[in-house]
Amino acid sequence: MSYAYLFKYIIIGDTGVGKSCLLLQFTDKRFQPVHDLTIGVEFGARMITIDGKQIKLQIWDTAGQESFRSITRSYYRGAAGALLVYDITRRDTFNHLTTWLEDARQHSNSNMVIMLIGNKSDLEARREVKKEEGEAFAREHGLIFMETSAKTAANVEEAFINTAKEIYQKIQDGVFDINNEANGIKIGPQHSPANANLTSPGGGGSQGGGCC
Amino acid sequence: MFTRQKNWISGAIWKPKNPHSLEHLKFLYGMLGKNQTVTEQNRSLLVETLRSISEILIWGDQNDSSVFDFFLEKNMLSFFLRYIRQKYGRYICVQLLQTLNILFENIRNETSLYYLLSNNHINSIIVHKFDFSDEEVMAYYISFLKTLSLKLNRHTIHFFYNEHTNDFALYTEAIKFFNHSESMVRIAVRTITLNVYKGVSNQSNSSVDDKAMLRYIRDRTAAPYFSNLVWFIGNHILTVDLCVRHDSDHRSRDRLSALVAEHLDHLHYLNDILNINIDALNEVITDHLLNRLLIPLYVYSLTKRKRLSAAEARGERKHVSSVVSLFLLSQVWLIIQYPSLVQPLAEVIFQGEIELSSETDIATGASGTDSPKLKVREFKEPAESLEKTLANTHRTYTENQIKTPPPTAEGNSQFFGERQESATTQDQTEEVTSPISEAASADNDDIASPNQNSTDEEKLSHRMTYIPADPPPRFSLENRPYLEAIFNNLECSENDYAALFALCLLYAITQSEGVSQDVLDKVMMPTDKSNDKTYYNIALVERLLRIITIAAQSSSKVRLATLEVSIKLLKQLVYKDGKSYLQDRHLASLENAKECSTQRLRNFYKSEEIFLDMFEDEYRDMKNSPLNVEYLMMDASILLSPTGTPLTGIDFNKRLPCGEVERARRAIRVFFLLRDLSFTLLNESDVSLPLTKDEACVKINDVLDLNNSDLIACTILLKDSRRQERRFLVIDPLQLILVEPDTKRLGWGVVRFVGFLQDIEVTGDKDDSRSLQIVVHKPSTSKTIHSRSLSLLTGRFIFDDHIRCMAAKQRLIKGRIRARQQKMSTIERLLDISSQGDGGSGSYSRSGPIPGRSHPVRVTSEVQTSASTDASVPAASKSAQQCQSVPEKKKKESKTKQRSKESNTENVHSSMGDSIEVAQEATSAFAVQTLNHDSIKTSSFNRHSPKLSAAIKPDVQEIPMEDLSGNSKHRSGSLDRPSLRLQTNIHKQYTRSHSHSPRRHKSDSDPTPLKQHDSRQPSAQTKKNQKKAQTSLIINRPHSHSSPIPMTSARAKSHSSSEDSLDSHKGSRSFLSQSPKSLRPADAPTLSLVSQPEMEVIVPSGTILSPKLIPPADEERIRSFSDVSTGSSDSASSSHVNVSTQDMKEQPVKKGKGKKKLVATADSEKEQNPSQELTLLAQMVQEHYKFPDTPEDEKLPFPNQQDI
Repeated sequence: MSYAYLFKYIIIGDTGVGKSCLLLQFTDKRFQPVHDLTIGVEFGARMITIDGKQIKLQIWDTAGQESFRSITRSYYRGAAGALLVYDITRRDTFNHLTTWLEDARQHSNSNMVIMLIGNKSDLEARREVKKEEGEAFAREHGLIFMETSAKTAANVEEAFINTAKEIYQKIQDGVFDINNEANGIKIGPQHSPANANLTSPGGGGSQGGGCC
Repeated sequence: MFTRQKNWISGAIWKPKNPHSLEHLKFLYGMLGKNQTVTEQNRSLLVETLRSISEILIWGDQNDSSVFDFFLEKNMLSFFLRYIRQKYGRYICVQLLQTLNILFENIRNETSLYYLLSNNHINSIIVHKFDFSDEEVMAYYISFLKTLSLKLNRHTIHFFYNEHTNDFALYTEAIKFFNHSESMVRIAVRTITLNVYKGVSNQSNSSVDDKAMLRYIRDRTAAPYFSNLVWFIGNHILTVDLCVRHDSDHRSRDRLSALVAEHLDHLHYLNDILNINIDALNEVITDHLLNRLLIPLYVYSLTKRKRLSAAEARGERKHVSSVVSLFLLSQVWLIIQYPSLVQPLAEVIFQGEIELSSETDIATGASGTDSPKLKVREFKEPAESLEKTLANTHRTYTENQIKTPPPTAEGNSQFFGERQESATTQDQTEEVTSPISEAASADNDDIASPNQNSTDEEKLSHRMTYIPADPPPRFSLENRPYLEAIFNNLECSENDYAALFALCLLYAITQSEGVSQDVLDKVMMPTDKSNDKTYYNIALVERLLRIITIAAQSSSKVRLATLEVSIKLLKQLVYKDGKSYLQDRHLASLENAKECSTQRLRNFYKSEEIFLDMFEDEYRDMKNSPLNVEYLMMDASILLSPTGTPLTGIDFNKRLPCGEVERARRAIRVFFLLRDLSFTLLNESDVSLPLTKDEACVKINDVLDLNNSDLIACTILLKDSRRQERRFLVIDPLQLILVEPDTKRLGWGVVRFVGFLQDIEVTGDKDDSRSLQIVVHKPSTSKTIHSRSLSLLTGRFIFDDHIRCMAAKQRLIKGRIRARQQKMSTIERLLDISSQGDGGSGSYSRSGPIPGRSHPVRVTSEVQTSASTDASVPAASKSAQQCQSVPEKKKKESKTKQRSKESNTENVHSSMGDSIEVAQEATSAFAVQTLNHDSIKTSSFNRHSPKLSAAIKPDVQEIPMEDLSGNSKHRSGSLDRPSLRLQTNIHKQYTRSHSHSPRRHKSDSDPTPLKQHDSRQPSAQTKKNQKKAQTSLIINRPHSHSSPIPMTSARAKSHSSSEDSLDSHKGSRSFLSQSPKSLRPADAPTLSLVSQPEMEVIVPSGTILSPKLIPPADEERIRSFSDVSTGSSDSASSSHVNVSTQDMKEQPVKKGKGKKKLVATADSEKEQNPSQELTLLAQMVQEHYKFPDTPEDEKLPFPNQQDI
């Protein structure tokens, strides 16, 4: 499928905050959240439309590679957007945000759009981090903020798309140098008929029907 | 559409209602069975089927084990394999890869995992040639491999490595993409290899099979992989170099920074591998990295020297510029610490390429048949692409199962590098050219042994040349071409472009944990590892000191970062555990540099508010974020030639200052750095800095005893939260404190908020006389870009009534001024600007007589004919000019010019200085005389001159004339007259309320300073007036800085009009200014008689004023006066007050400057002693006496004044 832009995202945060589930939830709606099933992926792609333009999002989970410094720094640098996820039912994951953010700022290019996500908003009863705290943290550090639930799919769509919108806006403003692929942005191929026939498990496409 | 289709189908084949059940999987199995071939028609169906399978399997893994059993029992994976091999398989391969991804990612049950891996289907899928041109397939495929690699452990690894076929598909397939164009793919490849190596290393002391696996990786894949990787990196470097060479305008900075970051990625990657610590692998990496990249490409590029080698002879040797190579080498050293790699690298850098000769020996001798070129380190392309090599290797290996004993790495690192070098170079060359190599590797050992012998010899020769244990060691750069090159790059008289990198490189080497101290000792670079640092490399330290010295000078081209690294390196070389080993002469030159920096900062010192803020900000910045060399070397922007403009977005410390403010900042920072260094080396602690001591501050939640303190109750409306709080306001010398009553102790309060007085901004409220708008700014920190709140508190303080409100306001404003003044005077002390400031008492008594003397003068000027006094001035000036020796005058002029060239800051200063001089002169020329005459005792007098000027305020109008006479020499082009007016303004304000003599009053109301009148209308509390006053000030200030013209015109006028009178006074004037000795004879006691009566009249009133002339206490009083006046006039502008007070405060400083200039003129008069003062006085009076003789000039002063 052809696209105008491809945005590369990374998804970061402590283990167990539901990153890969969030990723699957967003990139593939055919997997409907079910009570007794936890399922996630480390990579996903999906097509969205912003401002009438087809934009492909490619999201890479960096989980499990923290022990290699070379890998984390490379991932950060190669991404245009980052989803920084914590678990609203675990205070420690919120406390670690600063470290994550420092890491991200240190390695990423300064234009990277970072979205803060408080995941598992469905577990209201076990909530340990107030929404206001998340908002305050985001405000303090200039992030976009949203509480989501990979379980109920609440806000998942919005989280990814809002990030994409911000990146798109930055492109329009000329902040991103789109010719420099190191930024995590790629301009789509003019015509790619060969690819057009290929199915993608991600959104859009014919198999996207599962979501209805 | 599709959904319906699915429903329809599922409906047809009794689709189970529960999608998560064994039944459903059975149904899906049936579906696969029915659609064994992928076609255009069924592909959607198959995609959904495959997707559902993954979902059910994961559900089963988490909930029902029978599901998985069924999957395995039916061998459903084989369907997958069959699909992808079909013609239309590509239709569903993305889904297939996703399904597999999900399976391996989510399966928690170990056994299930083993089953999935056991039948080799996975390996078959791995080696399948997907359509990698499709971005999506590529991404899913590499993710799949990555997921698998994360599952590697001591058990699972055997499913991937097949001993029988000697195949490790996961690894070999992955590394084929090591240079894929997509960065995410490259990252994934690195992740996979790292996971594989980690998995392999976990096997360490295990069975033969594992060793076989290790050998496979080392022998069959490592050499090809790393040689290609190194080639890839090297080419990348050439691109970097190209990019640097062709970018003089910083246009490709984005690209360059991406390239540099990529280089760092590579280094980190190699370092991560080295850290996994698989000896066999590390050897290969070390070898390739050293001999194929670091030495031939990086180190060789340090020198321009041509080396003899086949490739070079053909002029083909690839190289980069020395700047790039220094930069990259620094990165290498900062990142890689692996001893076996960095040790030999250090030796080559330090000793030059010692092994070259030995190589030749070996080549011609021991293994004579080999051609020497085998051992030449060279950056060259591997003979084959990695993919090809891997394919070949695979074939050869399976055909030829001879085992190579892995080379052992024992022996000390000294010869390890060399042995390794020849051995592996050979190995490498052979292997690359013909990947049969079993025989070749077997040969390795044979070759290695002779080599080893020679290394021993070499070691011997080393020992003879360098005997580290033998003090005192000597050091020369002879035969150290690379070190010499590095040292040469430390030269930064033109710029510090390469010097910065050379410093970083040396620093990184000394910091490296991988280098033994022995190696460093040979070049006399002690580090923290050495016991003492008595013998440091003098050549190096002197170079560092030179950089530091240059950095401290004005117009230096040394960037702050360079200075900081020099200091770090210097400390590293000579300082340990609180002890400095720096030799005295070196310390002296350091102190000298420090002095220089202080001197330079003195030039930037000014009274403006911003100076204090900048000063403190720089200090905080230095303390909070000391330079991190590693971060510094990550910044590609320094790779481009140093620039000054901030438009590039380069950090301030990595570029040259741009404009006056930045130059001031820089001067401040240099001052701090050198001061800090000096204190460190002397093992003293700096008691003067920071200006605000944390321990002296009240903190939130402190409980204070507030009995007998001034408390002002108020209600605070916070802007942010819209909350309302009832608090008591306490104003401490430094801080604004808001307390709540302590419930436990009467009269005590709990601190709820603190803010520094110096950071407050107070504004009245037009509509509500009881409330104040108060903002407490955060102490500025340049690094808080990401936090958005800029103030600690913004709110409205509502007091009980307007009187309390006024009181609070006044105290806050005053407190702010005081707090700032206090700090400013500390700064002055730090800079030795106002050694006078404290010197107080002694000089005080000294100048005691001055006020007395001044009175007659003032009287004369006022009473006798103020105009005449002035008139005399031009004459005097003229005469002074005439009589003055030409050279001296020139000197002065040039001095003035210089000064005017300097910043506005400077202008402010000079204007200050001049105004002081003016003030002096107002007291009549005698003041100047006194000054000169005092110059022996120096500063003390100068210090008081501001006060003098204040005292004589009323006469200020006449000053211009006077100054021409006495000081015209150094004021020739002075732009400063306006500032005089400013000063007058201030003083007048003060005088107003306190003037006792009507005459003075009158003079106050002179037409000239129109605006002052507004400001002086004190009782009228109307805000309009205040505002006006404020504006007038504002207008005045810029004026004072920037309008030399009125001054000049005034001067011109005075000159011309006074022409006539010149001659008559010439004599006495020249007298005055030229030969002090001759002053004595010129006593005219009669004169005093004339002025006597007036004097008596005036003195009483003058007494009030006169204190200003000397005692600090009085100065204080004056200040408070002005404060009061502002306060009482309710001037809404704290800034107004600030300015005035600061100006006053400034004066001592200025005075110092003025003094200096005066000293030059006064040199000849030095001989005078206090006893002659009387004579002087007499002479002054005499001069005044003479003035009446020249009535023509009478009117001059006033016009002049107006011009101003």
